[in-house]
Amino acid sequence: MTDTIRFRLNGEETESHSDPSARLLDVLREEFLLTGVKCGCKEGECGACSVIIDGQLANSCMVALGSVSGSDVMTIEGYSKTKRYQKLSEAYAEFSAVQCGFCIPGMVMASEALLSHNPHPTEEEIREGISGNLCRCTGYSAIVSAIKKASENGEGLW
Amino acid sequence: MVTLRNGYIPETLAEALKIRSENQVVPYAGGTDLMIKAQPSSYLFLNKLSALQKVEQDGDMLHIGPGCNYTMLLNHPAVPKVLKEAMIRIASPATRNRGTIGGNICNASPKADSVLILYASDAELKLSSIAGERIVPIEEFFTGRGKTILREDELLTDIRLPLKGLDDYYYYKVGARRAMAISRVAFVGLLNTENGKISRVAAAFGAISDTVLRFREFEAMLLGKTLAEATALKPAFLAKYQEAIVPIRGRVSAEYRKQVCMNLLADFLNSNGI
Amino acid sequence: MDTISTPVKKLDHDLKMSGAARYTDDLQIPDMQHGKVLYSSVAKAIIKEIQLPQLPEGYVIIDKNDVPGENFVHIVADDCPVFADGVVTYIGEPILMLVGPDLKKVRELLSQIVVVYEEQTPEIDFRKGETFFYHYEYEKGDWQKAFAEADQVLDETIETGYQEHIYMEVQSMIGMKDPNGKITVAGSLQCPYYVHRALQKALGLGPDKVCVIQAEMGGAFGGKEAYPSILGCQVAVAANKIGKPVKCVLDRRDDITVTSKRHPASMRYQAAIKDRKITAIQADIRYNSGAYITLSPVVLQRGLIGAMGVYTFDALRVEGKAVKTNTVPNGAFRGFGGPQTFFAIEMFMNHIAKAVGEDPLPFKLRYLAKKGDETSTRGRYHFHIPMPEMIEKVDKASGYSQKYQEYKNQSGRYRKGIGLGLAYHGCGFTGSGERDMIKGVVRLHKLANNKVEVLTAGTDMGQGLKTTFVKIVAKTLGIPIEDVIIKNPNTDFVPDSGPTAASRSLMVVGKLLNRAAEKLKEQWEDGEEQEVEEHYVHPEFMIPWDLSVFQGDPYPDYSWSANVVEVEVDTLTGVTRVIGAWGMYDVGTAIDYRIVQGQMQGGFLQGIGYGSIELMDVNSKGQIRNNSLSDYIIPTAMDVPHLQTDIVDHPYEGGPFGGKGAGELPAVGGAQAYISAMESALGTNLYKTPFSQEDTLEFLTKGAK
Repeated sequence: MTDTIRFRLNGEETESHSDPSARLLDVLREEFLLTGVKCGCKEGECGACSVIIDGQLANSCMVALGSVSGSDVMTIEGYSKTKRYQKLSEAYAEFSAVQCGFCIPGMVMASEALLSHNPHPTEEEIREGISGNLCRCTGYSAIVSAIKKASENGEGLW
Repeated sequence: MVTLRNGYIPETLAEALKIRSENQVVPYAGGTDLMIKAQPSSYLFLNKLSALQKVEQDGDMLHIGPGCNYTMLLNHPAVPKVLKEAMIRIASPATRNRGTIGGNICNASPKADSVLILYASDAELKLSSIAGERIVPIEEFFTGRGKTILREDELLTDIRLPLKGLDDYYYYKVGARRAMAISRVAFVGLLNTENGKISRVAAAFGAISDTVLRFREFEAMLLGKTLAEATALKPAFLAKYQEAIVPIRGRVSAEYRKQVCMNLLADFLNSNGI
Repeated sequence: MDTISTPVKKLDHDLKMSGAARYTDDLQIPDMQHGKVLYSSVAKAIIKEIQLPQLPEGYVIIDKNDVPGENFVHIVADDCPVFADGVVTYIGEPILMLVGPDLKKVRELLSQIVVVYEEQTPEIDFRKGETFFYHYEYEKGDWQKAFAEADQVLDETIETGYQEHIYMEVQSMIGMKDPNGKITVAGSLQCPYYVHRALQKALGLGPDKVCVIQAEMGGAFGGKEAYPSILGCQVAVAANKIGKPVKCVLDRRDDITVTSKRHPASMRYQAAIKDRKITAIQADIRYNSGAYITLSPVVLQRGLIGAMGVYTFDALRVEGKAVKTNTVPNGAFRGFGGPQTFFAIEMFMNHIAKAVGEDPLPFKLRYLAKKGDETSTRGRYHFHIPMPEMIEKVDKASGYSQKYQEYKNQSGRYRKGIGLGLAYHGCGFTGSGERDMIKGVVRLHKLANNKVEVLTAGTDMGQGLKTTFVKIVAKTLGIPIEDVIIKNPNTDFVPDSGPTAASRSLMVVGKLLNRAAEKLKEQWEDGEEQEVEEHYVHPEFMIPWDLSVFQGDPYPDYSWSANVVEVEVDTLTGVTRVIGAWGMYDVGTAIDYRIVQGQMQGGFLQGIGYGSIELMDVNSKGQIRNNSLSDYIIPTAMDVPHLQTDIVDHPYEGGPFGGKGAGELPAVGGAQAYISAMESALGTNLYKTPFSQEDTLEFLTKGAK
């Protein structure tokens, strides 16, 4: 028997001793102090807590810690150190797509997940890709434009 | 196998079935339904069990591993279009990346989008335990809202989907919005003809009652009929459904959901020349 | 050449983009305790008994007995208790707070508390309620004569529902006590000095013994104007009692249940028509205030002022009541009373047009207010109103006029519709509030290194205030943006420049900063530490506002909007898609073009949501039935097309660089555009928002009710 869950977090091998049935969201925020992962509902309905697990977008509130044993988890804290992030950040800035900012870390992870699977998405595909990430500030137009721009400028990155 | 202080991570199906038979555990497939409540539970983590994540075609039968998440199935060439159309409307990418078809079935919600398609396509489920296995038609699996015949020592291990005749389908989901929407009404209709006669009719309704609704006795009215004969029977056929569909009351009115069911059923016939 | 409108990278971009921004729940403070509030589960009752579980060491109950000052939250009136005092008057009224070191344990203990109620019959339906917190009336011209001589009278009741803010960050607050007994509250709040004054009252402390700090704020839209005073008092009282920091972050379901929303309204409109022309209008308006006054009088005033929309009528009568009910107190929400009446008058104008055999747009054009007109409240439209130009532009962009004709007779499963909605938003605090109540003060502090710090109580909730304030100061001083410093307000250091509300910050506070910067520029001495202060000056041209007769200029100027929405309706299911949305706005000169665009688009979508899918379901017991994000739904990125918005540039001479209020305007005009589009698609008159899938199918099945 073990009380240790091992996984990769933002590129580093790590382990947690929290309850395996705990929400990954709570573990990331409280145990690892990764507060860029936001909590908006704890019901999988807002996307603010989006992280990337094994290359796929996930709502960390809907993931039990035990299910990421052996997985690769990336949060905004890790992603923000990448070149891809820089490209997205420039594009988001160009459209002033960040207003209150609360949805943004999750929105950025959704943007990355989308572009990593589909480097040149159409507008409809972009909207589909961020459809689980609620934003109450922007009306989405600036965010969609920013993702499109990042995709155009990010030749070779995705 | 990893035994956690609270929970288990099996590496093989045999291990999983053994744990299931010996312990009080909650099978954890994708977690997207379980984690809404997130009560401290002893989970049997099935999400990395590759034995449950296979899709294999055997002639006209598609075997879908219940551990497949929606994204895997949406990307798989053998999965029929009608099932994909229902799955692409489930929640959002993040949920589709984790949520599994097996979880959708075992959660036993009448709103489960994939289950509706499995009803119409006469799918069967394989339930396994260390004692053996049994194969049941999907309609027999559910006994009510959130209730199934799955025993405490069993796991759903295979979804058997007959592929024949699934290309001619009519599908519509009514949600409150275009993404992140729980079904208010979902409808699928299948109609096949052979030599000018109707060889198969299936009409299933989701989010209406405690389970998905399908009325085989009404469908039988049209079997063996020509389209012209079916057209003559249409009023009687629709009248049967008008009587039989009694939506359970909910926040979205029963009257609305009933009307949508009837409109879609009539349009389904219409679109098939009936 | 770069102008003030030229977009810059928002100052808080990197912090928020990278996840490094610290919102309230992200703040780590040693020995932090967690608080959860127990809310009333019934709408009206006497509390007979509260049965508490055995509390482990370190877990404490905070209730009315712990409030050292007065057990009232100071908002407009002081009628709302910090914690219930023997009675509860709505579902969600705070009874007590349980505080302890472990949040899970706090939740567990809270669930074990039993409250024994003696229930009373609650008043839920505001249409029937007879208790009025406020009752206003005003009139202009001889409306009685017009109605007596009318050859036709149109009489309709138009209703609007609740709207919940759904800021992505729930209400969150931390209370702290220092060894000297000073109480500091940090949290997600729009108006630091509102909370500051409320804390003084509840704690019984002087202004120097309380401090309020705004943490990074994840959206507000008006929802964090009054409620933070309530939550702020609660965490302050808790911190005061236990001497440790206390954090309270609402759960989403609690946030939806217990915090303020947009007031539902029921509005009876009557028009006297003679020779196919409107000769007078009467409006009888009811807003559901909920159980306490909070901000209702001011919300109602703004609604009543706008009751005639963007039109000028010679004769009119308006009466409005803020009705008390045993439901959650309603409050500020972007538009602040405007979206209700502007929706009603726009729908009413559509219906009058059709009643006299005209299409809505040409009919409306004839009544548009223009510069020099007397307003409904006998004030004056002092400045150019660019509505005709804006309507022409939005018509051209959307193809409204042509599509309106095309969509008149449709058959088949899918039917399209297009609608136009017009609105204004009065800039600044209503009436004489800026002069008599707020008296805003700003300061600029120049450091010896020649960097200049902006000191105001203005809060950035996403609308970009930090960036626009810094742009105004930098541009006026002629220094780089990098040389201007702005931080989140802390009442120990910033003067009271007033609340961040009422589309006043940029126009009023921004102008004060503009003047302060001019003054500093004149006195500028390199290498010296300097400070300048500016105080509000009331525009001399304004006709004095008199609330007792509801007359005068309620606002110095107005921002204007013309919105068009195009829909496609599935007649088999009632499912409706927005397939086009265009907006044209006048907000004076944009202080930052992209920031303004972001405001317009975000507000427009909130308006569309208000008209379409945002349905709050309250049952006869006063219980909100859809208190989650899966049940109270807002649009996702899939539910809206690219919002095509733009602005016309007519500088307002009273604002900084010609800028005026922008934040609220777009939310005032979205719903009427959407519902007008539904009228066009369905070929009927409609009378309410939201108009849901169910409503649509019911109409298609049974016809108009």
